Amino acid sequence: MIVSIARKEFSEIVRDGRFKWTAGMMALLLLTAMAAGCQKHSAYMDMQRLSQDRTNAQWLNQGNKNPHAGAHYGNYAFKPAGPLAFFDNGINHYAGNALFMEAHKQNFALGRPATDQSSIGRFGDLSGAMILQLLMPLLIIFLGFTAFAGERESGTLRQALSMGVSNRQLLWGKALGIGAVVALITGLCVAAGGLALSLTGLSMENESLGARVALMALSYSLYAGIFLFLTLAVSAWAKNVRTALMVLVGFWAFAAFLAPKAAVEISKAAHPTPAFGQWMADMRTHQMRGIDGVPPFARFQQESEALFAEYGAESVAELPVYVGALRLQKFEEYDFPVFEQHFGRLRDAYTRQRRLQDRLGIVAPTLPLRSLSMTLAGTDLIRHIQFADAAEAYRREMVATVNNYLGEAAASLNSGYGGGNVLIADEAVFAMVPPFEFAPQGLGKALSEHAGNFVALALWLAAALGLAIGAARRLKVDGD
Amino acid sequence: MKRIIISHETRQLFRSGAFRALLLLLAGAVAFAAWSGQRSIDRQIEGANAAAAFEDGHRNKMRADTEKYQARVAAEGGEYQFASARHGAGEGPPQGTNAGVVGSATAKYLRLPPTGLAPFSVGQSDIQLSYVPVSMNPAIHITRDNELENPVNLMTGSFDIAFVVIFLLPIFILAISYDLLSSEKERGTLAMVLAHPISLKALMVSKIAARAGVLFAAVLALGLAALLAVGDGLGSFDTWARFGLWAAATLLYALFWFALSVLVNVHGGNSAANGIALAGTWLALVVVVPTLAGLLATTLYPAPSRMELTTAARQAQTEAESAYMARLSEYYYDHLEFVPEGDERAMDFLTVAMANRNAIDKAVRPLHDEFQSQLNRQESLVRRFQFISPAIMMQLALNEISGTSADRYEHFLNQAFDFRDEWSDFFTVRFLRRAPLKPSDYDQFPTFEYQEEPFATVLTRLLPSLAGMLALLGGAILIPFAGLRRYPVATS
Repeated sequence: MIVSIARKEFSEIVRDGRFKWTAGMMALLLLTAMAAGCQKHSAYMDMQRLSQDRTNAQWLNQGNKNPHAGAHYGNYAFKPAGPLAFFDNGINHYAGNALFMEAHKQNFALGRPATDQSSIGRFGDLSGAMILQLLMPLLIIFLGFTAFAGERESGTLRQALSMGVSNRQLLWGKALGIGAVVALITGLCVAAGGLALSLTGLSMENESLGARVALMALSYSLYAGIFLFLTLAVSAWAKNVRTALMVLVGFWAFAAFLAPKAAVEISKAAHPTPAFGQWMADMRTHQMRGIDGVPPFARFQQESEALFAEYGAESVAELPVYVGALRLQKFEEYDFPVFEQHFGRLRDAYTRQRRLQDRLGIVAPTLPLRSLSMTLAGTDLIRHIQFADAAEAYRREMVATVNNYLGEAAASLNSGYGGGNVLIADEAVFAMVPPFEFAPQGLGKALSEHAGNFVALALWLAAALGLAIGAARRLKVDGD
Repeated sequence: MKRIIISHETRQLFRSGAFRALLLLLAGAVAFAAWSGQRSIDRQIEGANAAAAFEDGHRNKMRADTEKYQARVAAEGGEYQFASARHGAGEGPPQGTNAGVVGSATAKYLRLPPTGLAPFSVGQSDIQLSYVPVSMNPAIHITRDNELENPVNLMTGSFDIAFVVIFLLPIFILAISYDLLSSEKERGTLAMVLAHPISLKALMVSKIAARAGVLFAAVLALGLAALLAVGDGLGSFDTWARFGLWAAATLLYALFWFALSVLVNVHGGNSAANGIALAGTWLALVVVVPTLAGLLATTLYPAPSRMELTTAARQAQTEAESAYMARLSEYYYDHLEFVPEGDERAMDFLTVAMANRNAIDKAVRPLHDEFQSQLNRQESLVRRFQFISPAIMMQLALNEISGTSADRYEHFLNQAFDFRDEWSDFFTVRFLRRAPLKPSDYDQFPTFEYQEEPFATVLTRLLPSLAGMLALLGGAILIPFAGLRRYPVATS
């Protein structure tokens, strides 16, 4: 029985002129978004790869100079887009993609595409994810708001129920019918997008692509299910189709547009992001003051005796390493905890904001889905932080390598004065630093942050299902 | 008759619980938006104050050192001397006497002051720093830093008054007008009303007038309340002129949505069909078309790649660096009058570093200039795409009115670049002369005052967006009334 109701619902929708329009538009938009996403993604990845190779080569061929000057010349880390960025570009437009790694300074990733876009860009990306997050729910509402209310108004509900169909059968049949239509449209388009991407031939080893796609499909199915059952619940409960439509469209506008922005403002008020000027002044002051209140020069003086003892030396002249290089490296290390504290403070604010936004998903299912989708696409904040961490680890290693080389190679300068500029490092010395390569952590690590989001989606689905079953049980055969 | 209908409709509206709830929601949204807009401006000002205090504090410390030094010289006799640059502590005259150190180790923060209406539209101000550092460092450092907002928040965008106007106001308008005629028809009252001496057109106009009147009054009152609560410069002409423009643009935009609703109403569909059509149109005009415009624009006119710029600039830097000793001569060549007597060129690290920086700046700047002009070209092409959606026109207009537009920011940056040359020259000349900075010289440092654009410039830039909306509105008004003649008054 359920199957025949579903079949009836399916063919009724498919034969409806409204459906042809909405479904056609939706399919067209999805295909456009997927095609554009693939094209932009592969162009970005080509550019990223090329630029990283170029700067890695530039590091090697920077010319002969003092090795520490080489660390000032530094290198760049360019951020790869994330394995499913063609589908969900996440924060990529708003987070920098080029991180300068140099001596003495931990930097932010710069070059945010949003800075170079006109304000039109702020309306958002037309991506597959955006369409499924914002438009798919509306499609479900349009297809389903008349499911019960419409049949009641036209009197066919009484007929159907008089034939011995149970309320519950009717509900499942309709859910199945509408669900099949939605799955058909979105499934086809997403498959086309995936095919196009596989044709671009980007390598994505170690990115557990299969798991990502499967979880993505699961998340979006849960999301679609929520709207499907909510639509049926409201349609069964509402007195007439007009009310059903108003309530559903109102909820959609709230969940998809109002809630995310409101959640952002609330999270910013609860966990304020420090302003750049304030943050910069705090960190630089702290740096000069020293982490424990002892400025770097004084601290080096204090520690020098113990430091020299490590080398079995009593004076500078006996040191087996160049004292200038030793001091450079020590100063570098004194800054680590300061950087960790201040960059950490910023990240904490970001992470707390994100968690609060996720938790606010309890009032709007779009929030947890959006968060999950970005993580699965590898275009989220967690991955951005991993990238910044990888760059910082590389920077420390890079600077230490050349400073230590300077220390050993220039040990004879300890007796001289200021000769550090004379020592020349060449390509062989710079080659001691391996090229930068970003190896993202596994998907499991990122997903461990998202258990709550899966729970939120599941709760929403359970609630929507409960409402639908409840409304179907109390289904009134006549309106008004 | 019209007047009776308008007053009847107005009373009916206020009696409807749904309408009262909508008004309350609108008021709540405006209050929330004003609150978050205010916080965003406060944060900018806090950041600017902290950055300026930090850098000025440095300079004040250096000045205090020179004062002490001057007193010492006066007490002990001898000459007030120039200190060569050094890292860390040392003997002799303080570093504050060295113009090169003062000019390159400290920065002067320049601010773009928010307009009185800034909290109304955050615009691009959450991405672009409204305060930039100027020093002897290369000009490209001026735009190097970004505001630190969480990228997720940037992606989502602000809940400001512009958002309420562009996204939510149309929903409210459509919600109170989507069933203007259809609901009366469905209840069967339309035929009865039209039995009275009133035309369908007059009825329609009266119904719309009642709703628009109430809504406009509400929007104006809410806007005014927001201005009084979070606006700034309430005594200045500029603020009130901007508020007037805001009100005009908002009313124009609201009228467009009322007209659209009329357009759908006269098609004679039932309420549900009208609802779907209007919700779909809202989605298309406010969400889909703007993102589609963005996609089209970036596909047809892609912004040049910053990654490419970065690697190209590095190539130029490497080449400039490889001959930096030669560049040192060139640096002096640029400042021939400062070659020390007997051609003994200073070889201290600051001079070498400055020469090096100078060389790099020269090599890299053309690339940045080219990049910027490419961006500007792209931006002006992209701006044409605004005409396909009232939402984009409105966003650009509101950014312009609130002073958070890309153009005003560029106007500020141009002043910053000019000031940077003035500031840098001031220190370079004194440094190369090895002229010791005295405490009184600190009062002579160049000062910066942002010169606001003339109001006419703002108007000129607003014109295309407002004209575009006016044209859309004209179209939306003219079409429906032609269709009214065929409107079926009763359900068949």
